[in-house]
Amino acid sequence: MTELSRENNIKDQLLVKFKFLGDKIVVKRDRRISADVDLLNFREVFSYLVNDMGFLRICMITGFDEGENFAAKYHLTDDKGIVFDLKTYIPKTNPVIKTVSDIISGGLLYERELVDMFGIKVEGLPEGERYPLPDGWPEGQYPLRKDWNKDMLKD
Amino acid sequence: MKIADKLVTWARTKSPWVIHFNTGSCNACDIEIVAALTPLFDLERFGVLQKGTPRHADVLLCSGAVTRQIEKRIIRIYEQMPNPKFVVAIGTCACSGGVFHDCYSVKGGIDSVIPVSAYIPGCPVRPEAIIDGVVKLLTKFESDERTRRNAK
Amino acid sequence: MGTVKIPIGPQHPALKEPESFLISLNGEKITDVGMRLGYNHRGIEKAAEGRTYIQNMPLLERVCGICSHSHSTAFSQAVEEIAGVEIPKRAKYIRTIIGELERVHSHLLWLGVAGHEVGFDTLLMYSWRDREVVMDLLAEITGNRVQYAMNALGGVRRDIDKEKQEHILKAVDVLEERTKYYINIATKETTLIKRLSGVGSISKEDVIKLGTVGPTGRASGVTRDIRKDDPYAAYADMEFNVITDTHCDVYGRAVVRLLELMETYKILRQAVKNIPDGDVSVRFPRRVPAGEATSRYEAPRGEDVHYVKANGTDKPERVKLRAPTMANLQSVAKMLENNNLADVPITIAAIDPCFSCTDRMIKIDNVSSGKLEMITWGDLRNQSIDFYKREHGLDFAELNKKYRERGTL
Repeated sequence: MTELSRENNIKDQLLVKFKFLGDKIVVKRDRRISADVDLLNFREVFSYLVNDMGFLRICMITGFDEGENFAAKYHLTDDKGIVFDLKTYIPKTNPVIKTVSDIISGGLLYERELVDMFGIKVEGLPEGERYPLPDGWPEGQYPLRKDWNKDMLKD
Repeated sequence: MKIADKLVTWARTKSPWVIHFNTGSCNACDIEIVAALTPLFDLERFGVLQKGTPRHADVLLCSGAVTRQIEKRIIRIYEQMPNPKFVVAIGTCACSGGVFHDCYSVKGGIDSVIPVSAYIPGCPVRPEAIIDGVVKLLTKFESDERTRRNAK
Repeated sequence: MGTVKIPIGPQHPALKEPESFLISLNGEKITDVGMRLGYNHRGIEKAAEGRTYIQNMPLLERVCGICSHSHSTAFSQAVEEIAGVEIPKRAKYIRTIIGELERVHSHLLWLGVAGHEVGFDTLLMYSWRDREVVMDLLAEITGNRVQYAMNALGGVRRDIDKEKQEHILKAVDVLEERTKYYINIATKETTLIKRLSGVGSISKEDVIKLGTVGPTGRASGVTRDIRKDDPYAAYADMEFNVITDTHCDVYGRAVVRLLELMETYKILRQAVKNIPDGDVSVRFPRRVPAGEATSRYEAPRGEDVHYVKANGTDKPERVKLRAPTMANLQSVAKMLENNNLADVPITIAAIDPCFSCTDRMIKIDNVSSGKLEMITWGDLRNQSIDFYKREHGLDFAELNKKYRERGTL
């Protein structure tokens, strides 16, 4: 097998199915592929990666505050050591995204982090304790937002 | 009364019962505290016994910077300890917040919530330093008690 | 019988870490487990954005004291990848050596804690005494017993000279003998085997579904080890086996960790024997060009993932990390399903939780009487030791006596 052939095969397969990914899907190096996708198409691509391409495990979800939008990068892995980072954008004017727990298990705590740290609303999350912020944390204070600093805590 | 006093002081200084509590540390100090109780360093030969409940403890060994979430609990544990009680802040984070002192979720060192009797800095604290610190504290307690009784 | 929920408060003598679990009981059987974590949440990710990359090195190291080198290396790898800096081979070998030494200290630590949780305190004393061999070695090589600060961006900060290499090999010989002794105990002592078998089981399918990592996942037959699947540092050059087991329970997790130690000794010998000459670090730019990288590391507890996004300045735009315990916590509920309350301490201890990595009390809610009970970890541990003594005749007092009387190995 030539260098990066596995990774390029994955990229090609995805481009065939989702032409709109275009140049947003990049093979960065061996075992690292990343792609950006609109919120509208996110679930379809995510579902395909998990159910049809063997990326059975979600190892982390990274939230971002990028000015106009929030973003969430879902880090998926398969059993061959390849990490696929799928990023989608969530408008600040309507910061809502559906949970992916209907497609893949194991992502619950990471989704709760998006809620606590950015104030993104993750629809469909089951009842449960918040994570990671402490009890009594004031409403409306989201630490990982770029415009937040700890002087905003009034105690 | 005097003899009973002396006995209690002797018991406390010769065989202090400690309780260990982690208020939000990275665990490095905690495993060094446990190491201090294991054979190589062996705090037990000094009569130090580790207890599971604050109600039986003389000394509270605290590691870690105080996080907001743990604040109420550490105060509760402190209140459950009988007098006289001592609090030892183990590690730089417990002394002042350490490398996390300016983090939003950290209130500061242990003394930001309860009074501290002894500070043992280090990142992490070596077991020998823990032993040294506890022994110094108890020596001071013993001499303070003697001074107090003689003053009566 | 009504549902009873048991809270175990965030203070307990054995695990040394605060966390809070809410356990629902039906009689003695567990039906559900809820978790309240966050006691250790210090806001590291936010702090990292306000510090330079160099200032972040000691911060990231202190995410966890037991696997500090893991976090430090994972972070360095990500930043080095973004900057396009290839570190010297000698540095990769040194990172590997320290990483494996860390694995030794961590697994021996776990062995002691596991022994303590079931009442086998002599095991705690022996394993922690043996652990001092590796602690002394680490102190000699790096200057500290814990928090080694060995990594620099661009390589490592100190070299391991010939004399230290000799010491490593000598220590590995000693530790290997001692580990064989523990493997013997684990395979021969029926009390220990019976106590740990069938407890905290999780099937292979659930491991895959829930994303359980590290020795916990490997004990259910899932061959996942970042050192083999996604090699980093010098692991691509090393010959070693990924240890798996099919017991799927706490016993399996003990076996996996002990056999992994034997593989670690293999790796250490190879690394010392084959360490290439050369520099131990290269120059690293103060400003890291814009870019991002996802780095993975097989910490003693499992897969540790770091993600860094750089923006061309000397401070990172975003640092995100996910420690192995966070991935494994989500399987704890599954493991405790249909187990007894008495199985809680050892099952939680068996995932080798490092709550400071994750961040991180057990409540009992007696629905029939309407009372909320709190139980400390220490009391639950004592209760579970009594339960197994009473119901299953498993008493560690004999074992403790037997091994104490043996004296030194």
